[in-house]
Amino acid sequence: MSLTRRGFLFVLGAGAGVTFSPVLWKLTDDVSIWTQNWSWIPRLQYGALAKKPGLSKAFGGGAPVQVLTVAGRPAEALGNPDHPLSQGGIPAVAAPEVQMLYKEARVKGPMKKVGDGKFEPIAWEDAEAMLAAKLKEAGAATAMITGDVNGTTAEVFSGLLKGLGSSDVYPMPCEQQTAAKGWQDVMGGRGTPGFDIENSDCILALGADLLESWGTPVRNAKAFGRTRPTGEKPGATWIACAPLKTRTVAVADIFVAVPPGGEATFALGLANMLIAAGASTGAADFDAFKSLAAGYTPAKVQDLIGVTPEALKKVAEALRAAKKPLVVPGSAISQGGSAVAFVAGMALNLLLGNVGKPGGVRALPELPTVVSGALSRDKLLDNDLVAWLSAVESGKKAAPKLLMVYEANPRYALPAAAKLGAALDKAGFVVSFSSFMDETAAKADLIMPNPLSLERYDDLQTPYGSGFASYTLGTPVTKPVANAKSSADVLLAAAQKVGVNLGFSSFEAVLEAKMAAVEGLSGFIAGETQPWQAIAQGSAPMGAAVADGLKKGKAWASIRTVEQNGIQTGAALLAKAGFKKPAADFPLLIAPLFQLNMGTPSMAMPEYNLPTLQESEAKGAAMYVGLNAATAKAVGVSQGDTVTVSSEAGSFKARVDIDESVMPGVVAAYLGFGHTAWDKFAKGRGDNVNKALAIAEEPGTGLSTWAAVAVKIAKG
Amino acid sequence: MAGNASHFKIRWGMAIDLDKCTGCGACVVSCQVENNNAPSMDGDDKLRTVNWLKVYRLENGKTFPDADVAYLPRPCMQCGNPSCVPVCPVVATDKNEEGGIVSQVYPRCIGCRYCMAACPYHSRVFNWFDPVWPKGMEKTLTPFTSTRPRGVVEKCHFCHHRWNMAKEKARKDGLDPMSLPEDAYIPACAEVCPTGALVFGDLNNHDHQVYKLAHSPYARRLLERLGGDPQVYYVSRREWVWKQLDNYLPGEDPAHGTKAKGGAHG
Repeated sequence: MSLTRRGFLFVLGAGAGVTFSPVLWKLTDDVSIWTQNWSWIPRLQYGALAKKPGLSKAFGGGAPVQVLTVAGRPAEALGNPDHPLSQGGIPAVAAPEVQMLYKEARVKGPMKKVGDGKFEPIAWEDAEAMLAAKLKEAGAATAMITGDVNGTTAEVFSGLLKGLGSSDVYPMPCEQQTAAKGWQDVMGGRGTPGFDIENSDCILALGADLLESWGTPVRNAKAFGRTRPTGEKPGATWIACAPLKTRTVAVADIFVAVPPGGEATFALGLANMLIAAGASTGAADFDAFKSLAAGYTPAKVQDLIGVTPEALKKVAEALRAAKKPLVVPGSAISQGGSAVAFVAGMALNLLLGNVGKPGGVRALPELPTVVSGALSRDKLLDNDLVAWLSAVESGKKAAPKLLMVYEANPRYALPAAAKLGAALDKAGFVVSFSSFMDETAAKADLIMPNPLSLERYDDLQTPYGSGFASYTLGTPVTKPVANAKSSADVLLAAAQKVGVNLGFSSFEAVLEAKMAAVEGLSGFIAGETQPWQAIAQGSAPMGAAVADGLKKGKAWASIRTVEQNGIQTGAALLAKAGFKKPAADFPLLIAPLFQLNMGTPSMAMPEYNLPTLQESEAKGAAMYVGLNAATAKAVGVSQGDTVTVSSEAGSFKARVDIDESVMPGVVAAYLGFGHTAWDKFAKGRGDNVNKALAIAEEPGTGLSTWAAVAVKIAKG
Repeated sequence: MAGNASHFKIRWGMAIDLDKCTGCGACVVSCQVENNNAPSMDGDDKLRTVNWLKVYRLENGKTFPDADVAYLPRPCMQCGNPSCVPVCPVVATDKNEEGGIVSQVYPRCIGCRYCMAACPYHSRVFNWFDPVWPKGMEKTLTPFTSTRPRGVVEKCHFCHHRWNMAKEKARKDGLDPMSLPEDAYIPACAEVCPTGALVFGDLNNHDHQVYKLAHSPYARRLLERLGGDPQVYYVSRREWVWKQLDNYLPGEDPAHGTKAKGGAHG
């Protein structure tokens, strides 16, 4: 075949045409675009952007947020810049709050149990009729567990139960309970202790994971951030004592390794040094405290808990050198803490002379109750759920005929899960108000789903730890996307049906009354002036439109404190303090960790938080416990081994991660894994550490604690 | 186009205080929500995640009681001299001369992953699977970042849409959109950080805090000696942390003479 001149020119022309024509490139571009344009991949929906205030109750301390809406549809939760508890920040558990509206585990509507683990949907009218019948039938044998002590919902619950003749309304274990026991019952203090971290120049976190999960973690972190201007000289010294390098310790200036249960000993060692340097307090029992502290010499402290005299001296000197030192005692997991350790820490605050002063401990007033017959928050905190369930389990107390559970997951989140689970089994009829199919709901007889925080009216009264009293209103950002109904409204209606008059017919009306009550108190809407600024200045602005501010998502704040009358050091109780080294059968101490990215006692880890897990924490179905190499060698395990960690109460499985930041003799373990319900994202990852948290009754206070649990570890 | 970014009018950058980061993960979650990353069962698997911002745990390698830890959030470094940009065969990524942000054009990406191989920071991720949102959760997508199918590389863009919105607002308010005040534009991660460890701003603007921080004696950059000229700085007073940010010869002191002039590759 020969190529003619005409043919050659044609090929040349065609080649040039194809090369220089945009068609080929356009087609390639189109192919690239259209092969990505699949119908099953959702397209973005556009619309007007707006921000609405909201209140996330994803964890106990509450997270005020601003919700970004697109054409009215909620899309993203961000921090609330004006709110003193957020200041624009948000904890990891609340960041996916909007997405949780559509979480797979969400209970879509009311359901009744029809078999083991089987439910069928029912109408709200039927569910409410069933609840009213059960309330009538159970009467005084009704009990309630609430996971929210900071909301006015608790008033509705305690008011209803009082009307039925029952006093069995219990909060889930929380830090406030330990604090109330220590401050009010032991030290004779009034009000709720608050901690003015913002104005302090030296903060000692005595066991508390201050910057991660203790009290008001975002407020704490913001205060930390302000005292540490990047690249400049730090404005405050942060000291943390813990059994390992927790998230708080990772950024602290001074770290002291103190074993779980050794906090009181450490505090008394510090008291010894401070008193020797001339510190004193006017407390009536100071002499007894002084002679007690005299026994905690640096050598004795070293012998008991391994803290060297040099480390003790460094901390004591930092506290002495500071103008406004502050000790913040607390449990690492914000529950089950020792009242003895709390009192020892607060006695240090007395020695440092900071009570009632800026940068110190501030006794905060309670907000008034508005529901007829309701318990005050202090009275509610007196009720020890773990002690009650233990008594029910052993038969010392009668099991409730009707148990209602609100914003709580006791089947998963209580210590000694096997024992307390047996107590829950004894309850006659269980109603869960859970928004999600959690472990408790999965075993309930009736589920009446509560809307999520962004779908309902709610409120937040002075979360524990805050240095100022505050009130925040939560208004719905969207209508419920599930067939959910406000539990408070459901119970107000039920109260009417059983003849209990709580004085309100809707929870919105309860909140209106609460706002009116708050308006009558001395306080201001925070924003231009923040409460810590007012505390430092000694005066607060007055006269703002409170209800209007609250409805706009702002916080009402008050710098008022409760006057004290004869606070004691609690020397008589502290005399009973003593660090108990673990015995040979359970030779290690467990250091449980509560990290908000891994979920909370009532909320399983959201799927959006999975990428926040470190490889040393969890991977796939396995979770890790941390031990240092010397401890691992002593117990005969090595990196990656599958082990069983057991205590007197129970056991859990994990894999070993050699973590040199953990002190010898300690096993660090993360709460939040080992769910058996919820959805595919939460279920089957790791094991539940709560199973091995053995409960002890604290000598001197009778408080149920699980602050120093001895465990053993074995391969397999 | 790729090249030395020193002549850009604006260079958006970040200074991350490693002595303030607690590793809480709020930045990681907010980044995903803002930029429409779908949740994944493999979300905890560092080889399979598609999230743009990762927080690494650093350890000093010592035994108790001398062991120390720090947390390092790692967004895209938005290199002044990016190694990912010149290797892209279809120009799906560029170094934007306005702001210096390294972009990624998803519809143009052919998924060859050459850019991923070139990036020394593992800042780029590849969608091995189509994204799947639990039923209904797609209603929470933001209108900011388009959804990406499988076969596409994606990366952090400093929430570029927020800059567009900040510029629009500035124009509306009669301000110069090319000279935004501090904090008028910050990405989601920096906005929500509880300790304020992430500071964002224009590295060329002397009024912005990030400019001062980038010149702090405590500031270092990740793998700085590769010459990528990253626009993300890490601030720490801990020498062992500096040592982990780059590769040093035995006995070499990271406190002295480590700063590369940039432009050494690409």
